[in-house]
This record gives sequence, C-alpha cells and structure tokens, in this order.
Amino acid sequence: MNIIDLAVNTITQGLIYALLSYAVYITYKILDFPDLTVDGSFPLGAAITAVLLTNNVNPYLTLLVALAFGALAGLVTGFIHVRLNIRALLAGIITMTGLFSINLQIAGSNLIVDRTIDTIFTSGIFNVLFGNIPLIYRKLVITLIIALAFKLILDLYFKTKNGLLLRAVGDNDLVVTMLAKDKGTVKIIGLTIANALVALSGSIVCQEQRSFSSTMGTGQVVFGLATVIMGTTIFKRFGFVKGTTAVLVGSIVYKACIQVALTLGLPANLLKLVTSILFLVILVYGNYQQKTTKVVSKNARA
Amino acid sequence: MKKGLLTLLTISLLATILTGCSKDSIPKIGISQYGEHASLDNCREGFIQGLEKSGLVEGEDFVIDYQNAGFDDSINTQIAQTFASNNVDLMVGIATPSATALYAATEEKDIPVIFTAVTDPVEAKLDKGNVTGTSDKLPIDAQLELIRAMQPDAKTIGIAYTTSEPNSISAIAEYKEKAPNYGFTIEAIGITQQSEVTQAVDTLISKDVDAFSNLTDNNVVGVLPAILDKTNAASIPIYGSEIEQVKLGCVAAAGIDYIELGIRTGEMAAKVLTGKAKATDLPYETIKDYHIYTNTNALEKLNITLPESIKEDTVPVELD
Amino acid sequence: MLELKNITKIYNPGLVTEMCLFDDFNLTIEDGQFVSIVGSNGSGKTSLLNIICGNIPIEQGEIIINGKNIVKMPEHKRHNSIGRVYQNSSMGSCPNLTILENLSLADHKGKTFGLSWALNKSRIDYYKEQLSSLGLGLEDKLHVKLGALSGGQRQAVSLIMSTLTPIDFLILDEHTAALDPKTAETIMILTDKIVREKKLTAMMVTHNLRYAAEYGDRILMMDKGNIILDRSGKEKESTSIDDLLNIFTKISIECGN
Repeated sequence: MNIIDLAVNTITQGLIYALLSYAVYITYKILDFPDLTVDGSFPLGAAITAVLLTNNVNPYLTLLVALAFGALAGLVTGFIHVRLNIRALLAGIITMTGLFSINLQIAGSNLIVDRTIDTIFTSGIFNVLFGNIPLIYRKLVITLIIALAFKLILDLYFKTKNGLLLRAVGDNDLVVTMLAKDKGTVKIIGLTIANALVALSGSIVCQEQRSFSSTMGTGQVVFGLATVIMGTTIFKRFGFVKGTTAVLVGSIVYKACIQVALTLGLPANLLKLVTSILFLVILVYGNYQQKTTKVVSKNARA
Repeated sequence: MKKGLLTLLTISLLATILTGCSKDSIPKIGISQYGEHASLDNCREGFIQGLEKSGLVEGEDFVIDYQNAGFDDSINTQIAQTFASNNVDLMVGIATPSATALYAATEEKDIPVIFTAVTDPVEAKLDKGNVTGTSDKLPIDAQLELIRAMQPDAKTIGIAYTTSEPNSISAIAEYKEKAPNYGFTIEAIGITQQSEVTQAVDTLISKDVDAFSNLTDNNVVGVLPAILDKTNAASIPIYGSEIEQVKLGCVAAAGIDYIELGIRTGEMAAKVLTGKAKATDLPYETIKDYHIYTNTNALEKLNITLPESIKEDTVPVELD
Repeated sequence: MLELKNITKIYNPGLVTEMCLFDDFNLTIEDGQFVSIVGSNGSGKTSLLNIICGNIPIEQGEIIINGKNIVKMPEHKRHNSIGRVYQNSSMGSCPNLTILENLSLADHKGKTFGLSWALNKSRIDYYKEQLSSLGLGLEDKLHVKLGALSGGQRQAVSLIMSTLTPIDFLILDEHTAALDPKTAETIMILTDKIVREKKLTAMMVTHNLRYAAEYGDRILMMDKGNIILDRSGKEKESTSIDDLLNIFTKISIECGN
C-alpha cells in the first residue's frame, strides 16, 4: 500500500470538489438559500468541458466556458426565484431538472475524453511549470493552486462593498432593502457566482477523470452541504478561520473519510449510510459544542 | 515514559505497514464493479472462475481487492485512484463507468486494465492502450429472430429505455436499424428515471404493441415485476435480454451468459497477469455465442407454444 | 412634503376575509415635522407606514413625495429618501456582521456597491464619534458582531445606521416598545436629537402617550383607518397626556377592548 500516493489522490479530489464546497458555502451559509441547482450545474460544467475537449478546444478556455455556463445556470435559478417568485427549493429543482436534459443534449449520456487529448493537467502553463513531475503530483499541485486561488479571490470579494452586501442579504435582507438596494438582484449575483464555481468544479473533475456522465451530479448538493457543515463545525472554536478555509478542509476531510471507508473494505452499499452517520455525528457534536460554550459564557458572566 | 512508549508503538506500527507492503509478492488484482446487479455479479463470479480455469489459485497466484461503487460516480473515481495508488498488478472494471475510471486512473502508470460488461469499447475509448476485455453487446439479431419465431403475426415491439444509459441508446439504434429485416417496427419510449417506467409501459400497451423486449437497462429491469403485472394483464409477452430477467418472469430471451462472459475475461486476465500476453496487444472480444432461455410457466400463462425450430436450442428456466 | 391622497387599502380582496382598512384616506405632512401617531392595535398605524415605505401595495390613491407620485416605485428605491427603524431591534441590522461592517454598509446607502473595499479606514473616527454620542461604550466594540449586543444597543446602532446618510424621512415603527424604560428613554432622546439636528421629517408610531406628546410637533390618533385626532402647534401644546388618554379610552371602549 502506498500511503503517500493514496493521500495525494485523496487531497486532490478534496481540492477539486472544494470549489463546489465554496459554492454551497455561498448559497447555504451566506445567502441562506438551499440551492439544488448544483446537481445540474456540476455535470453541466463537465458536459461542456467534455464536448469542447473532444473538439480540441484549449483546456484552459474550456474552464472559462464552463464557468460562464455555470453562471448562466445560477442566473436562471435566481431569476426563477426572485423575478417569478418561486420558492428557493423549487427554483433549484426546476433548473436542475432542466439541466439534466440540457446536459444530455450537450454531451449525450456519457462522453470519454481520450488520452491523446490534452487537459489542463497535461498542457499549457501548468505543464511548462510542473511537466516533469509525475502526473498524480502534478494534479495535486495544479488543483492546489486553483483551489487556493479561488479561496483568495472569494475572501477578497467578501471584503468588497458588493461582497459585504451579499453577506448582508443572507443575514438580514431587510437591511439591504433599507440600503435602497434590490435584495433580489443581490441574491441573483450570489447564485450566479456559486453556480459558476460549481460548473468549474465539474469541468476540472471531467478533465481529471477524462469522462462525463449524465449521472455525475447526483448527490453533489448533499456532498456540498456535508462539507460546509463539517468544515464550519470543526472550525467553530476558531473564530479567525475563514469560512472558505473551513469548507476547503471540510471537502478534504469528507473525501478522506470515504477513502478510509474504502481502504477498510467497507461495502460501497454501506458508504452512504456511513456518510449520513458521520454527518449526524458532526451536527450533534456541533450542537453540543454550542451548548457548552453557552454555559461557559453564562458562568463567566455570573 | 508515556511519550516514549507511544513513539515506539507508532514506529512499530509504521514498520509493520511498510514491511507488509514490500513483502507483497502475490500479484494483486483490483476489481471495481459499478454497482450490485445480478448480471454484473455473474461477471465477477465468472471472472474468478476464468482465472482458476487458467490454473491460477487465489491466495497463491493472485489476491483480489474487490470494491463496489454503489452506482456513485465520485466514489467510482476514488476506487480507481485507490487501486492506482496501491499499484495493484491488474485492474478489472465491471461495467463501462468502472472501466473508464480505471483506465483514466492509470494515465502515466503501467497497470493493465481488463474490462467486462462494456457494451461499446470503441465509444468508451477502451479499444487501444494498455487495456482490453470483453463486450456484452446484446445479440439483437438473435432476439428479433426469436420473437419472429415465437410470434409469427407480431408487427410491433415495444421497448422502454433510459435516455441517459449509453448502452440503451446504442441498443435502441440497432433495434430500429435491424427490425425491418424481420418485419417488425419498434415503438421505443425513453424515460429519465425509474418512476417513469410503468407509465411508459402503459403507453406502449395502449399503442397495441404485440410484444415487449427488454434491454439491459438498469431502470427498466429494476421494476420488472411491476412491468410484468401490466403486460400479463394485457396478455402481451415480454422478452428479456438475459437469463436473470427470464427467471423473473419474461417468456424468453436470446442472451449472453454473463458467467461465460466473466470466464472469458478471467482467461484474458490470466494471460496478462502471467505475462503470456500484454493487454496492449490483446484486442477486446465480443461474445458471439448466445443462449435462448425460456420460462415454461410464463409461456403457459400466455398460451404460447414453443415452435419446433427453436425448441432444441433452448435452456428452460425454472421460475423461482 | 409628503402627501397621501385618496388612499384605499383592502386586505384579502375578493376573499371572505376581505377587510377594507383605508377608504379615501388623506394625509399631508410638512417638511421637518415630527409626527407622533397613536392608536389602538389594528387602527392602521403600521399599515400607514408600510404603505409609505412600499412594502404593502395599495388599491387606489397617490403617495406624493416632493411633488412626485411614488406609488409605482419599488420598495427598495423609496428607501433612498427614507430611513426606518423597526420595533424588533434585530430587524435593522445584520447580526453576523460587526458594528463596523454594518455602519460601512449604511454609510454607502444609495451608492453603487461595487468591487472597492467595503471598509473605509478614514471613516472610522466618524463612526466612533457617532457611537460615542450614544454613551453606550459601543465605540470600543467596532469589531463585535451585532448579534452579540443587547436589544437596546442594537436598536441604537439601527437608529444610527438609518440616519447615517442624508435622508428626508425617518419612519419609526414603535422603535422603543421592546426596550426597558431606561434604554427606551435613551433611544428616544437620541432620536429627537438626530431628527432636530438633521432636520428630518419623522413619523413615529408609538403606544407611549408621553413620548407622543413630548416629542411630536403634531399628534395623530388613528382608529379603524381614520384619523380621529390631529393636533399641531398651539392646539397640540395645550393637549395633555390625560386628554389623549381620555380620548383613547373612549375609542377603546367603543371597540370593546
């Protein structure tokens, strides 16, 4: 057993999916919007990427195209929710369901990207920089750069006026109205950013595993929620840790849990059960932690 | 003192792991199966039989690390990468998603991949490189011939299929292409999820199809008992695509034997594992032999008598 | 000047529960006036504020601010010239943002929220000055989240937030009702100070008749969608709290309260 390679692969997976976790962090944690579009925009990014790659489009360009289409998907959900007054859950379901068909139209049910085709892991600037290290390490370095870059961009964004307004709308949308801003528009911006990130994650997954499958979106929302809750619960005690950092770690921890379960030889049919139990334990632990800190602060006051 | 003990313990633990790794001289086969499914299980069973038939003994000549993705794409990827990280000597992918994930994980690695239960290896890009295996393409000509022999007056065949299953889409295309040769037209209804299957069947019944034919479509096969209730009530015979469906109550099927498919794959794997051949040089194989399975009870219920022409080739299946 | 002309407001139109609150309602408020609005529950005080702010639609009528009919203007746009403080102290601020972040948001009201930095260090002294005028020691808690403050402290911040940028109207919706008497007094004094200093037109709904009489330039008493008392100037000066209470009791008895 090669523990180092195993760890490298697991962390790489966690880093790629961290982009999706950031997105769910924005929608669920910041906007307080349970966005189910994710299950559709994730394979959307992969579908577009698979088609473009097999048509010899530059892999870096496909990242941008996926990002743009993901943004469009988020825009649609936002529009349905805000302008057509459809509830958050339903708006997401409508877009997700529509995207299932759209993804089939774009790339069919499955599309394999042949090994002769270059991806971001085998071409361009990354290849120039890291081309001489083995593929799995190269994948780690590249995904690390991407995940950290987007973490940094988001952290900076949250400090801008627009970012602060986004945080305000999820916290108390009345305040946004009182600032003479349309809270609906702010929500749409949030959903657009989030789904752009989701599709980007889908695009990188597609480039990494060289395939698209129409079913690859199933359960991604749950994954995202699990990582956000895991991450934010783990780091609750440390107020200075940024939300994006917390969910980045959450994503890696989640993938590591699956890896441990696989290595222990747990049957895959039980994996989902293990995931849900893990999820529950973390939630309960989070509640317990909250209770104890409350008691402590009460005592401190008294 | 305590600290020293802990360090000692950690070191010894690490040592066991590391030496355990290096001592590993028995070739390891990583089997990744996309999900639990009767046909896929048969493939795996046959695969091990195939290895044994080639004179290899489990535990002496090979050990197996079996993983099952439970139809989850991201777990499927992680399984493939685990095998790659562990540097197994041979990878086996059962069903297309598993095979493609394994092959993707071996990029820049020299691990041969053997696949089975892949309908279209060309489309899945598994036709070249350090990869080979067996295709489970349906014997559609044989199936059409069978239906024609059993129902000489039948005109239309109804098929429900999932639009997101690549195997189903290619099978439907072939059905439509070949049906006229046997004087049939195909009424196909695409569905996107399992809950829509029975509705599709109702629609087909209302269109007066003379027979139903099944693919190896997971969604459709998954609710076969419910479909049978409807088709039996309408007295329309339904033909399966492999033995498991006939066991459940389909009247007959021209299908490949997945155990045999597995055995054939196992034999290919044995050649690669023992160094007699390289996966790169072995072309993938499509099983040409098929069997005709019949379900006596179901035939009786629908008052169909087996025509003499096919009677002697058939394998009767007992209804459980 | 704010004018409400021929306002008709019907709740649940077309349903069995249909209820006509305002029928041909008219009201004019002069610039710089501090109007206290009192009345029993259900008399239409808060509905009146909501109609002005635009978070409930009306069936008929005109709302004219400085000569412009704003009936079709969406709620958020009306807030360009309106500041509002609610009864619930958690409604006027973001609990998970710090005092500094909340004030920075409020400080930018009416402008574009682009990609420039949200926190402007050069404004911090000004914020501190505003906060220290409260006498609550909040100027040292700039980096504390609003959710960690007490209701009174939050309400004080809400009041500052709603008046940080130039506005014409300040809408106060029972903004001291949920506070303890001492804090309520502090907030009320602060409100009065801000309104006078910034020369705002204020509308304050309150159940506290003393506040209504003491701080309002004009007192309105409402009942079932009608203004049954409207006193300003000398007439208002001569109205004692007891007078108000008597009239109030009379309408309450009629209502069966």
